[in-house]
Amino acid sequence: MFRYNLELAFRGLRGFPKSTVLVVLTVALGLSACMTTLALLHVLSADPLPGRSEHLYLAWVDTVLAKPTNYQSLNGVTQANYRRIKLADAQALLSAHRAVRQAVVANMAADEISADGKHAQRAQLILATSADFVPMFGVALRYGRNWTAAEDAAHAPVVLIDTELAQKLFGTVNAVGRRVRLRNTLFQVVGVIAPYAPQPHFYGLDSFIFSSDGGENLYLPYTAALDAGLSPRSADGCDASYKTVSRLGWSDPAHCASLGFWVQLDTPQQVAVYRSYLTHYVEQHKALSGFGKPATSQLFSVAQWLKLQHVVPDSVRLNAGLAGAFLLLCMLNVAGLLAARFLHRSGETGIRRALGAPRRAVFQQYLLEAAAISMLGGVLALPLTLLGLWILRRQGSDFSGLARLDPLMFGGLFVMALLVGVLVGLLPAWRASAVEPALQVKSA
Amino acid sequence: MHPIISALKHHKTAVILMVLEIALTCAIVSNAIFIIGNRLAAMHVQTGVVDNELVWARSSGLDQGASAASATSRAQADLAALRSMPGVTSAVMVNSLPLSNMNAWGACVQRRPGHTKDLVCNVILYAGTQGTVKTLGIKLVQGRDFLPQEYVNYFPFDDMQAPPAVIVTRSLADRLWPGKDPLGQPLFLGDKARDVTHVVGVVGHLVNPRINKYNGVERNLLLPVTAAAVRGGMYVLRTAPGARDATLRDLPKVLDGVDSRRIITERHSYAQTVKDYFHDDRALIWLLLVVIGCLLALSALGVVGLSSFWVQQRTHQIGIRRAIGATRRDIMLYFQIENLLIVGAGIALGSLCAVVLSLFLMKHYELPRLPLGYLPIGALVLWALGQLAVLGPALRAAAVPPVVATRSV
Repeated sequence: MFRYNLELAFRGLRGFPKSTVLVVLTVALGLSACMTTLALLHVLSADPLPGRSEHLYLAWVDTVLAKPTNYQSLNGVTQANYRRIKLADAQALLSAHRAVRQAVVANMAADEISADGKHAQRAQLILATSADFVPMFGVALRYGRNWTAAEDAAHAPVVLIDTELAQKLFGTVNAVGRRVRLRNTLFQVVGVIAPYAPQPHFYGLDSFIFSSDGGENLYLPYTAALDAGLSPRSADGCDASYKTVSRLGWSDPAHCASLGFWVQLDTPQQVAVYRSYLTHYVEQHKALSGFGKPATSQLFSVAQWLKLQHVVPDSVRLNAGLAGAFLLLCMLNVAGLLAARFLHRSGETGIRRALGAPRRAVFQQYLLEAAAISMLGGVLALPLTLLGLWILRRQGSDFSGLARLDPLMFGGLFVMALLVGVLVGLLPAWRASAVEPALQVKSA
Repeated sequence: MHPIISALKHHKTAVILMVLEIALTCAIVSNAIFIIGNRLAAMHVQTGVVDNELVWARSSGLDQGASAASATSRAQADLAALRSMPGVTSAVMVNSLPLSNMNAWGACVQRRPGHTKDLVCNVILYAGTQGTVKTLGIKLVQGRDFLPQEYVNYFPFDDMQAPPAVIVTRSLADRLWPGKDPLGQPLFLGDKARDVTHVVGVVGHLVNPRINKYNGVERNLLLPVTAAAVRGGMYVLRTAPGARDATLRDLPKVLDGVDSRRIITERHSYAQTVKDYFHDDRALIWLLLVVIGCLLALSALGVVGLSSFWVQQRTHQIGIRRAIGATRRDIMLYFQIENLLIVGAGIALGSLCAVVLSLFLMKHYELPRLPLGYLPIGALVLWALGQLAVLGPALRAAAVPPVVATRSV
């Protein structure tokens, strides 16, 4: 019976070529618009480090010796708070070693110049961090080695660079042993890594959120970076006693909360223990009460952190909503066309019914026809979606360059096509199967 | 009940589908038209400077490792070379330009020191070297331009003595001293609001480097500084009409003549900069136009499809009506009125949806509320579209000969 209905469905497709083409085009347009925007949304809301990010947490203790920010004033504006901490706290948490791994993270900007002064990369974003960053964040080492905790403590002038920077500065990817100058300090390259740019850039949202052209290309111990006169680009607040206000592109981590602190915690017990450790840590800072501040500490998982900081741009959601509405309209349209086409065949339906076909069989036939036509639309939607994504990538905003169709979304496209077909077919198929056989046979 | 309406009762499925379709289109199209209008209005902002006569450039190394004295002498050499270019009437150095989207300095200012209640934050600071007001073509509505001795080495984020004079925008003046004459008023700058300066001029319009909810549109002031203070800033050249493109082309050669080791990181005509600033808005407008076009085309197709089906289904009835005296015009009118009613129902439902959608957008995307005046626009567009779409099927219906009534019975 199913096969017979399928055959009838395909015969129906061929019977009305004009309306079939129209319906297929409509479905394809709706699906491709929807898939293009969903693919972008999917890329942007994806896990930045699958398999790792669920064990990473941002730890924050509020030890800034100042009244709770009174920046909100006549125009009542609050500034973004990236939950960073001061140098002394970062060092204390780092040496306490209460988590499985821990890393200090701060973005800085510098000119990178090869030791011979012949090649330079101006105003590059670099990452000042500590030894655990590489194993913790899954950075792939290509040549040489990572620096050690001992080198962190010794303020050793060593760096890791990525293969692209190695090629640009030294003309070779294996640049281990070469030297690069930042400010007036020469740093030794101890390792070369594969370009590393998780999206979104969750450990340094103050610098950028998404980027199509990579992230930092140089990593160095934060101790050595501070020694070289480099400094974090911004801060979340400074001690009241600190004389100059933190200026653009420069803030002193000794007095300003400007270092991110990430920890790796593998089990819920470890998370709970670390949470209480942080609470205990911040309660020891008696000086804070003088500024009318409650002892505050927080621990964010990567997912919580991304949600808190609104990393997915509103416009992307808006576009997905628009495309969804567009698909809905396409579906209404197709439902109308299908209803017209099925009812047009009322005579045929009547004869089938009169010859003994149950209502269910007629319903199945029409539903199959709707599903088949929608699947055809899905096939056509694939190249249209790829075209849409290509157009999107050429838009030139910092995130649109990331728009790709991954296998999951590829499968999603066809599931959606089938779903659309069934949904769209339900009402017309029910309506068509409800015709009275006697009436139709008589008038035919 | 009128026969047109009672006839519709026999086509509930199709009518419901068509009404829903029109409603959805109406809701989206009226909101989209509103957003487009909103963006177009935003793009019409006047920068407050002479857009078409300016050229600007930035060069590397302007901000690094140089002492104040060497930075000043270097900038002066550059500016002298730039001023000597043919077609260049003047050249200055500023930290930023309206809508340039870069190097915006924000700060808090106070009317009285020590009163945190008096703090106005997120005020943009423009800093420019001697001749900035004339070069940019900023129009003062009150007061005077800076005097040569008022230009000092002042970087707002370091401990430095503030310049004695400041020019504020009308909108900042109204916020700081509502109802008072701003000229001569003291203004306190810096973190501890220690540095006092006085207002010497008021500018009618000068837009911020970027427009956002924190800094507003024109909440800024202009400081007279020397070249050493404008670290990481830009050279701005005012050119004679027609000389702009040639100036832009020759600019690297001239700057290289002064110091060939530097890299000119950016050079643009200012008109292009303003255009680039609105790139995203233009992209959104195009996107919405395409969406509107697709929605309307789809709705029209739907109307044509269903109307054609009805005409086909009712051929027999039309024949009977014609045979008992209905004119072609009557038949056409029947289908047109029917369409008017269905689209009308869709518009009624759609207007409701449009308001709901607008409230949703207001809540989540910081859009202003949809003015109700946009609803009739959407309604008219859809009615016209419906009538156009039904014209073909209605003409076909009117062409049905009365003799059909006598056939196939």
